[in-house]
Amino acid sequence: MKPLKWLALFIIPLGLVIAAVPQNTTKPYKLTADQLLGEANTRTQYVTPDAVADMIVNKDPSLQLIDVRSQEEFEKFSLPGAMNIPLTDLLSDKYTDIFNQDVKMNVFYSNGTVTANEAWMLTRQLGYSNIYVLEGGLNFWFDSILNPQKPASTSPDEEFARYDFRKSAGAALGGGGPIQAQTAQSQVASSPKPALTSAPKKKKVAGGC
Amino acid sequence: MTETTEIKKTKYLNPYLGGVLLGLVLLSANFIAGRGLGASGAIKSVVVTGMTTVAPAASANSGFVKEFRQSHEGNPMKTWLVFEMLGVLVGGFLSGAIAGRLKLKVEHSPKITSRKRLILALTGGVLFGFGSQLGRGCTSGSALSGMAVLSLGGFITMMAIFGTAFALAYFFRKNWI
Amino acid sequence: MGPLVTNGIISENLNLFLAFIIGIGFGFVLEQSGFSSSRKLAGIFYGYDTVVLKVFFTGAITCMLGLLFFSLFGWIDLSLVYVNPTYLTSAIVGGIIMGAGFIIGGYCPGTSVCGAAIGKLDGLIFVGGLFIGVLIFGLGYKLWEGLYMAKNLGSPKISSVLGLSDGIFALLLILAALAMFWVAEMAEKKFPREEY
Repeated sequence: MKPLKWLALFIIPLGLVIAAVPQNTTKPYKLTADQLLGEANTRTQYVTPDAVADMIVNKDPSLQLIDVRSQEEFEKFSLPGAMNIPLTDLLSDKYTDIFNQDVKMNVFYSNGTVTANEAWMLTRQLGYSNIYVLEGGLNFWFDSILNPQKPASTSPDEEFARYDFRKSAGAALGGGGPIQAQTAQSQVASSPKPALTSAPKKKKVAGGC
Repeated sequence: MTETTEIKKTKYLNPYLGGVLLGLVLLSANFIAGRGLGASGAIKSVVVTGMTTVAPAASANSGFVKEFRQSHEGNPMKTWLVFEMLGVLVGGFLSGAIAGRLKLKVEHSPKITSRKRLILALTGGVLFGFGSQLGRGCTSGSALSGMAVLSLGGFITMMAIFGTAFALAYFFRKNWI
Repeated sequence: MGPLVTNGIISENLNLFLAFIIGIGFGFVLEQSGFSSSRKLAGIFYGYDTVVLKVFFTGAITCMLGLLFFSLFGWIDLSLVYVNPTYLTSAIVGGIIMGAGFIIGGYCPGTSVCGAAIGKLDGLIFVGGLFIGVLIFGLGYKLWEGLYMAKNLGSPKISSVLGLSDGIFALLLILAALAMFWVAEMAEKKFPREEY
């Protein structure tokens, strides 16, 4: 049989198979369900408002706040330095570079924590690291940072330190109250800042030519 | 008794088999390195190296060098394509050696002289070198590898190359047939 | 899970070594198929030698099918494989210039190196011309930078532009290529000629 006929006999069936089979999904999940559940259960993704406020006030360049609410809500009020990625646009290609990196800490926030957690689950499943959720969302942010409750006189010193910090941070960030001395900030026993994990970037190779 | 004239045949691989093997080489490149084959990029590497060696200050301002550096950090010669092209040189030589095709010569149609052929080769090379930079690839990089990954740009470049060559073929026919 | 280098399975240095090995394979197959001969390469444009058509399309289709099947079996992540970007203006203009270079010089960069490797002086001169052409482009970069960067459409795939799935496009391409091969073979039977 002529070579052409052999070739046709071989590649036409292959072509038919590949045409018939549904297109393979391109982004396989990188974390298993068990791993993700483990992380969700230990609440490792949460960052306290104190830690975030601290970073904002100290102008920490590794912080990247991401507001996952709609654009209108973002324009009405947003945290300083935050960018707006509505949850519906989260998986769009234009934001891949923001997630696929190991330089900044991306902290999602929304009014509560539901939407921010949804964003966290999605991006974590795709294998991105350095992704966090603002604990309590904007609601808790208002209560704790912008309008901190003065602790009762019998509370421990740490509470007062935290209160002072919050008041000054809140003032710096747009809340009410006079600006206190700088010393209060360094005494805050806030939860330790989450450490940046160095995740190797999945960079596409440059080809062509 | 009539004498039948023998058609001289150089022993080449069956083109379909050659195509399948080429496809497998291309597949391995994509699987291992995440990119297809190429050729003109290696030439670009050499030219950039030359430019930066001969005139480092001027090259630092060159848009061309800057564009190259955007996708290649470090030594411009330490790229995938340069190593691949060195391999092509070796592979071509081995194949020629095995098939007994190693011979210093200028291959040309009997209707033109060697000298004319060399001038044509030089002209063609200059045009192709320039065009490959504009087109971001040559037939190997853009057309072949581009087609295999279904790239639109690769397909367009391929159509432009072959379309133009077909269109101009009539005017250069004396050089070939 | 491929691509091996992007997923960190092999190191950059091993990648470069393998590039050399892949190149050997590339050069070997090209020369074995006759791509070291400029007269064979130009043959497609005059109908006397259709090797370029056959090898080129069979190669592209083999790899295309290979990639799609690998993706199907989960052996490769296609989103990490390089897809050539589309800069509409420069793709067309560059292609036209290359087409002229092809019909005049009878080679393309990869095949000219093959030709030079087996001693073809015209191949060697073509390679020399390539350097000059690239140098001219580089030196005068500012003059054509606008053209070079115009109309960046990203990296669209032909299948998405046509609204087909990759698999269906592959099938259509296979059928088109086989039809072309069949026509080519008829033409060759009518005009037998000396093998260059």
